[in-house]
Amino acid sequence: MSDLWYSLPALAQDIALTFALLLPALLVGALVLRGFAPWPLTRAILWRFRGASVMFVLLIAISVGMGIGLLAQERGLRRGTAQAADKFDLVVSAPGSELSVMLAAVFLQPTDMPLLDGATYDEIASHENVSVAAPLAFGDSYGDAPVIGTTAEFARDLADDRIEGRMWQASDEALAGALVPLGVGESFTPAHGHGDAAEGDAHGDAHLRIVGRMAPTGTPWDRAILLPVEAVWEVHGLANGHAPERAGQIGPPFDPDYFPGTPAVVVRAEALWANYALRSEFTRDRETMAFFPGAVLAGLYAVLGDIRQVMSLMALVTQGLVAASVLLGLFILSRLFRRQIALLRALGAPARFVFAVVWSFGAALLVAGAGLGLLTGVAAASVLSRVVTARTDILVTAPIGWSEIHFLAGFVSLTLLLSLLPAAIVLRQQVVDGLRA
Amino acid sequence: MGLPLTISELVVPGGKGRVLLSLPKLELPAGALVGVRGPSGAGKSTLLYALAGLLEAEGSIRWGETELLRLGAERRTRFRADNIGMIFQDFLLFEELDAGANAALTALFRPRRERAAMRLRASKRLSALGLGDHAGRHVSSFSGGERQRVAIARAMAAEAPVLLADEPTASLDRASADRLIDDLVHLARDSGTTLIAVSHDRHLTDRMDRVLTITDGALLGDEATAA
Ligand SMILES: Nc1ncnc2c1ncn2[C@@H]1O[C@H](COP(=O)(O)OP(=O)(O)OP(=O)(O)O)[C@@H](O)[C@H]1O
Ligand SMILES: [Mg+2]
Repeated sequence: MSDLWYSLPALAQDIALTFALLLPALLVGALVLRGFAPWPLTRAILWRFRGASVMFVLLIAISVGMGIGLLAQERGLRRGTAQAADKFDLVVSAPGSELSVMLAAVFLQPTDMPLLDGATYDEIASHENVSVAAPLAFGDSYGDAPVIGTTAEFARDLADDRIEGRMWQASDEALAGALVPLGVGESFTPAHGHGDAAEGDAHGDAHLRIVGRMAPTGTPWDRAILLPVEAVWEVHGLANGHAPERAGQIGPPFDPDYFPGTPAVVVRAEALWANYALRSEFTRDRETMAFFPGAVLAGLYAVLGDIRQVMSLMALVTQGLVAASVLLGLFILSRLFRRQIALLRALGAPARFVFAVVWSFGAALLVAGAGLGLLTGVAAASVLSRVVTARTDILVTAPIGWSEIHFLAGFVSLTLLLSLLPAAIVLRQQVVDGLRA
Repeated sequence: MGLPLTISELVVPGGKGRVLLSLPKLELPAGALVGVRGPSGAGKSTLLYALAGLLEAEGSIRWGETELLRLGAERRTRFRADNIGMIFQDFLLFEELDAGANAALTALFRPRRERAAMRLRASKRLSALGLGDHAGRHVSSFSGGERQRVAIARAMAAEAPVLLADEPTASLDRASADRLIDDLVHLARDSGTTLIAVSHDRHLTDRMDRVLTITDGALLGDEATAA
């Protein structure tokens, strides 16, 4: 049986699980309704209590929508951040907090970081298993845009080789990220530092020209201006990484003696397995630290995973409470149509028919609320994604996934079962008392 | 055809040792038309509810071959559905449904194959009661007399052998009440239905075969009428 289950494609599993979650409610519904036509009465009751019914449906829709929206959003955020770290296989830096180095290198959060020297860089770059070793030089900015020095190879890799215009060929040329408000051909002068603390005139004589624009990546790098690392060093009055006789060279190899230092190096290995070897090799007390940003994020998600569970639980509890209050409301409403119920009994309606009427009234509210809630959830998730994307530049898309559908199916199933309760309570009322009421 | 009724030693308790109604003996032939009168609070409605199997009681109520008080709640309900039509003092209609749907209300819990025939009978009753042209109108716009006629059509749609009516002419003006009495009596006589009608209205009780008088929960009079 479990072999059969695992042999199914994921989609079939998801659909089967949704169906399984709904099955108890469907069975109960079929059992309650079999052989009866309660709909005219259900419609009549819905119409009589239309105001209350609309309120109930909205209440359910909002609570369901918020629950679903948040869950989808959380997943979207995880996916977006993981995707942003995609291009950063292995990062080597001076020892410190992996988290802050990752935030600086992958998500471009400004941090003061100690530098790796030329010898260390050279050791990394010339390691036999390393195919790419790109230095990253942070610290400057232009307006909102961080200005980052690196190699042409890494820039090309970031943009998936989709560059409008061309790659830089000299140390006064730069590439703009997709969201940077500079067009090809425009010039700028980088400021030292970021934001309010930036010193605008520190690099007063440096004029750089945008020669290309990178395709959107859905990461904070879309806001960045990339330039040859040599340019960053030169602007700061340092050696440019190359011996005087090769002073015009742009890009690796660099000359260890003329290498001013870099806070972080992004490394790509020749083969996947080599990443692990490289990580242990460059994890050295006091000298260097090597880590996988993906693994740091995974660790973060593990912590957040607990929060996700708490969130799911809270969403479930909230929805349970809303459902409970709706059921209570149903019960109160059912007191109002007590005479009609008694009338049905007096006319010979079987208990199950009365059950069918009261239950289908509750079921109509719950199903309508859940359906509307799904739409609300989709809308909430897309609004939240847009807000988060705008705030962080991390492209977050939060389509409703199967886990939300399962969540919803579970909710609908449970509440449909629970709404048997008011129906049962209604039936316990004395018929004659109801008629005399 | 109607059902005969045999009651013996019937006692309907009202809680705290009170007796709402006690009827040592009563026999009615099938198709009898019986009026029930008595002062307010005498126990007339209680009698009708007991005859419909809606109250717990001691003694015996036998409709034809069926010992009503021995049946469990669901079987009594079933018996009611098959054998008893009820007309309530204050109509008790579903205001959101039209006259036709109200008259055919019991079709909703009948087996599917019986529903169409039931609707047809309900609409025939409505026509016979002069509401044929108004079957599609919501009853919320109906007058008191029209509502009462819808309630009668509903009670008779199942062609139940027994019809129990509680003050069917209360709240109607004289002319409408007389028309209604005419309709009720004709329909009952034509189909041989056993009719038990609680009423203060002499115009109604005069048309019955017998009139019972109930006072303080006891049967004090049982007269045959001239008609
Ligand atoms: N569940 C009950 N418990 C106690 N007393 C009850 C109960 N139901 C009815 N009664 C009492 O029983 C008496 C008979 O009630 P019933 O409704 O049968 O009167 P009625 O003859 O139909 O009067 P009316 O002409 O006003 O309709 C009344 O005094 C009523 O208050
Ligand atoms: Mg009464």
